[in-house]
Amino acid sequence: MTSLLDVRDLTFHYADRAGPVRAVDNVSFSLASGGSALGLVGESGSGKSSLALAIMRMLPTNVARYDGEVWLDGQELLGMAENRFRQEIRWRKLALVPQGAQNGFNPVLRVGEQIIEPLVVSGAAGKREARARAQELLAYVGLPADVYLRYPHELSGGMKQRAMIAAALILEPPVVIMDEPTSALDASVQTQITNLLKRLKQDMNLAIIFITHDIALASDLCDDLAVVYAGEIVEIGSAEQVLLHPSHPYTQRLLASIPRLHSDTLPQFIPGAPPDLREPPAGCRFHPRCPLVFEPCAQKSPPAFEPADGQMARCWLIEDGSG
Amino acid sequence: MNMASAFRELLRSGPGFGGASLMALLLTAALYVLLAFPLDFGESQWSNPVIWVDNPKAVPPAWTNPLRQDARPLHRVFEGAEPQTVQTARSGPVHSWRFPFTYASSHPPTFLAVTLADVNYAERPPLVLISLKRPDGKQLRIYRHTVRGPREDENGPFLRYAETPLRVQLSTDEATVTAAQNFLAEEFDLRLDGGQIGGRVDRILFGVPAGSADDAFAPLTGDYEIIIQAALREEGDSVGKVRFVVGGGVFGLMGTDSLGRDLARGLLFGLPVALFIGVIAALMSTAIGTSLGIASGYLGGRADIAIQRFSDIVANVPVLPLLIFMLFIIGPSLWMIIVILVAFGWSGLTIQVRSMVLHMRANQLIEAIQSLGASRRRVMFRHILPQITPYVLAQLIFAAPSAILAEAGLSFLGLGDPSIPTWGQILETGFRTGGIYVGYWWWIVPPGLCIVLTALTFMLLALGIEPIVNPRLRQPAS
Amino acid sequence: MSLLRPLLVRSLTMVGVFFVVLLMLVLTLGLTGFSDRILSATIGEQLRAERTALAETIRDPDEMEKVLEKRREELEIFYGLSTPWYYRLPRTALRVLTLDLGEARTLRSFDGSNRVFDIVTERVPNSMLLLTTSLIITATIGIIAGAYLATRQGSWLDRFVSGFAAVSFAVPTWWIGILLILILSIQLRILPSGGMYSTPPPTQPLPRFFDLVAHALLPVITLVLVSFGPSIYSIRTITLNIAQEDHVKIARAKGLPESRVRLRHILRVAAPPIVTGLMFGLAGSLSGSILVETVFNWQGMGRLYYDALAGTPDENVIVALTFIFTLMYVVIRIVLEALYVFLDPRVRYTD
Repeated sequence: MTSLLDVRDLTFHYADRAGPVRAVDNVSFSLASGGSALGLVGESGSGKSSLALAIMRMLPTNVARYDGEVWLDGQELLGMAENRFRQEIRWRKLALVPQGAQNGFNPVLRVGEQIIEPLVVSGAAGKREARARAQELLAYVGLPADVYLRYPHELSGGMKQRAMIAAALILEPPVVIMDEPTSALDASVQTQITNLLKRLKQDMNLAIIFITHDIALASDLCDDLAVVYAGEIVEIGSAEQVLLHPSHPYTQRLLASIPRLHSDTLPQFIPGAPPDLREPPAGCRFHPRCPLVFEPCAQKSPPAFEPADGQMARCWLIEDGSG
Repeated sequence: MNMASAFRELLRSGPGFGGASLMALLLTAALYVLLAFPLDFGESQWSNPVIWVDNPKAVPPAWTNPLRQDARPLHRVFEGAEPQTVQTARSGPVHSWRFPFTYASSHPPTFLAVTLADVNYAERPPLVLISLKRPDGKQLRIYRHTVRGPREDENGPFLRYAETPLRVQLSTDEATVTAAQNFLAEEFDLRLDGGQIGGRVDRILFGVPAGSADDAFAPLTGDYEIIIQAALREEGDSVGKVRFVVGGGVFGLMGTDSLGRDLARGLLFGLPVALFIGVIAALMSTAIGTSLGIASGYLGGRADIAIQRFSDIVANVPVLPLLIFMLFIIGPSLWMIIVILVAFGWSGLTIQVRSMVLHMRANQLIEAIQSLGASRRRVMFRHILPQITPYVLAQLIFAAPSAILAEAGLSFLGLGDPSIPTWGQILETGFRTGGIYVGYWWWIVPPGLCIVLTALTFMLLALGIEPIVNPRLRQPAS
Repeated sequence: MSLLRPLLVRSLTMVGVFFVVLLMLVLTLGLTGFSDRILSATIGEQLRAERTALAETIRDPDEMEKVLEKRREELEIFYGLSTPWYYRLPRTALRVLTLDLGEARTLRSFDGSNRVFDIVTERVPNSMLLLTTSLIITATIGIIAGAYLATRQGSWLDRFVSGFAAVSFAVPTWWIGILLILILSIQLRILPSGGMYSTPPPTQPLPRFFDLVAHALLPVITLVLVSFGPSIYSIRTITLNIAQEDHVKIARAKGLPESRVRLRHILRVAAPPIVTGLMFGLAGSLSGSILVETVFNWQGMGRLYYDALAGTPDENVIVALTFIFTLMYVVIRIVLEALYVFLDPRVRYTD
């Protein structure tokens, strides 16, 4: 099977005074083709932003461990020479809309200049051509043409987010990673952006990795969902599978914590706090907070089980149930 | 955090420990100065040439001697009150003092001087004779002085040289020059005229003619003796005090300036003055800055705007030209310097404190307390002030060195308070009199080092305190 | 988009500073009676001169006194001494504002003029030469070394520089100058100890230039020595903070070459705060150069202060110097403000 993006056993730890922080541990997932979105859902501090950075090879200086494989379009990215990766992959095949993209623009340069910068610097287009392309994109994301000449501080949060998305699309990458693209915006703008992303996915045949703490939001946009807990993917599957038949207790709890409009059940909160990634709990990392915990949980880390076709979950309960 | 634990934390940090120990050292030294020096040291001693007349002028510290190839002569002062021997001659009693010493330097003394004080006589004035006995066995009379006799309508007993002692600089005294001339003629058969001898008396007295040229002298080292005799006319006549100075080429711990002032004493006295300037100026400007800042943030409205505008302007005034101008017009005084430094030094803190107050007022906890009915005044003093205090304390310590440096700079321009010696003034004299161009480093380097050391002490303390009062800085860099 | 309006707004403080200084000058001169004393002295001098001149024609002493008394009244009205200082001095301030600065008592300009305006203004270029040269060198060292240190945060070099910067704040600039003279000029005899040219100055342009450079070396080194530590440290901190901002992350994600990231997305963004730093340091640099000029006998405005203060003080020169110094400071500040507004679009108003 050849997928567009294939992440295999990606591990990324960074050094801290107290020891390595296991921000990303043995993460595997794949994106079959363009026109689809994968949601990476987890609490803050679960390592989902680190995962985005690890895929983009944007590492801090204090890396303790960084291995695994990332295949994009048949090319392995982690082993690629730095310069080649920068020139051929970054923004060209893999763009990033980072968390707090509000601050993603250089405050002293005009927005348009920053949108076309990668295009012009790589020499792929002249300034005029690039500008025409950028203005097309600005119109597409719903911004007036004069945004091109504005400075970032002259735009509202929602406008900056749209401009950032336009910037990510300038080189027409097949994959865009969006890290909490809407979390700083108010609800109505959030909906507009989500709708924009849906449209984008279709129109541009784009593969989106959508990182969020909001599983409801992810379910609206994404075709597949991966639930991240303490640096690991604990459950992954199609949106329907994960939402309707969650097999990991953490996923179940996460879904139960969503307030529902037409329901009498009160939202339930997950007791306890996410673990310290310097010293994650032995065995299943969720077991100290899991209501269904039993003997093997604290002993051994659960492998990936397949409760249904195309669905994966790391929980000893599934082995119990199926075996 | 209480004071004791904050202090312990301060001592744990490198700069904090260094600053605290240096400060302890400086305070001890300053305390010593306050106890040992008169408060009017500047006027009664430093600016009073009589005090320093017997010191060599512009000589380096004594401890530089071991570093030289040929050691310079040490400074020697011999004093006598009660006569060492009393003989009776035909004319009357003869009191004498003998001061033996070993002279080892190949340089002659920088000068020779004798001082007589409190001479008492009943009828006829005594005669004072001074002789020098040399290592080669030769002895010569270098000075002879008859105490001034009675004036016409004056009745005995007579007291002479009581208020102003008689001081004679033998090196340039005509009588001594003649004595040296005669000595060379008699002992070495060398005839030189007064002009050839002038200025070289010390060299002749402490040397022997060196063969080749007529006027060259080789140093003569060995045991010398100064003999002072007072030929008195009657029992009961007396010379109260004699003092003989063999001027050295080095002096004391820090050397002397061109007036012979002991730089060690000037530098020591400068310490409490500098600390005083730094602390008082910092205290006053911090007090003004903090209260205006609090007022600005607390009152709000027009008062806030007015204070803000005003401090903004004051913060941007180029202070030094204005300081020079005002001191020049009003006249240099230490208090004036401090007042002007404070007048222009408070504004930065006002701006910072105001923004802190505004920030805290917006704090939810403070809002909650206020909504519970606490008065604004109470909120101010119970909740906001305690949070600002540590920050203000650090700023206070930061403000001290700039006041010290500013005073030093003004003194260097000649605008120092003439009645109070400071390090800047010592440097100024050294610079203005050209001491720097003839390489009088001991006059130039130590006062500057003192300024740097004192300012640095405050800086280190501030650096040590800052992370304690500003918890944000305590987090390790990520 | 207009650059003018934000610049005007930002320059308001400077205009305030200028008038506050002028007010302080007037108040100090007036309240202390200094101005009255000076005027009386001027009138007295003039009367003495006229008495000698009149002695030729008027023999009768009573007649002479009467004439002189009348003349004194005329002069007092002419100089404004008959009106209280708070009426007179604002007019004087106005006169000073139009750069009518009076005449010096003893000081002369290089070509012998006693007009204070000539004496002071011919020094301005000399002061500016020293100040701008050292500021440019300090800023260049600061930007290069600061940007480099930001990449080596926490290294021993980084810690050394922050320590060095702290020590710099405790060292009087002028004392460093004296030390350098003592070591380099007096002991080692490498560089001249003061002045701007050798005596006699070289006449050919090129040797003259090198002579000037040789004489400028020590004062410039002095000014740079005490200011480059803090400069590096502050630029390092600014760059460090900017390098952690999101837009830098994005610039890297865009696959831009590292050099472009550093120049356009870090240093370019650091430019406005660096200019702000320059603005805050300006008063200090000016003060430093007053004293350094004194030490090195550099014929600028600072040395003129020292000369005007030493011996018989030259009041008019000191008033004028304080005024021109403030004017110069205000002008440089406004230039820096303009640079800031140019560099930072965030302060610009739109529409």
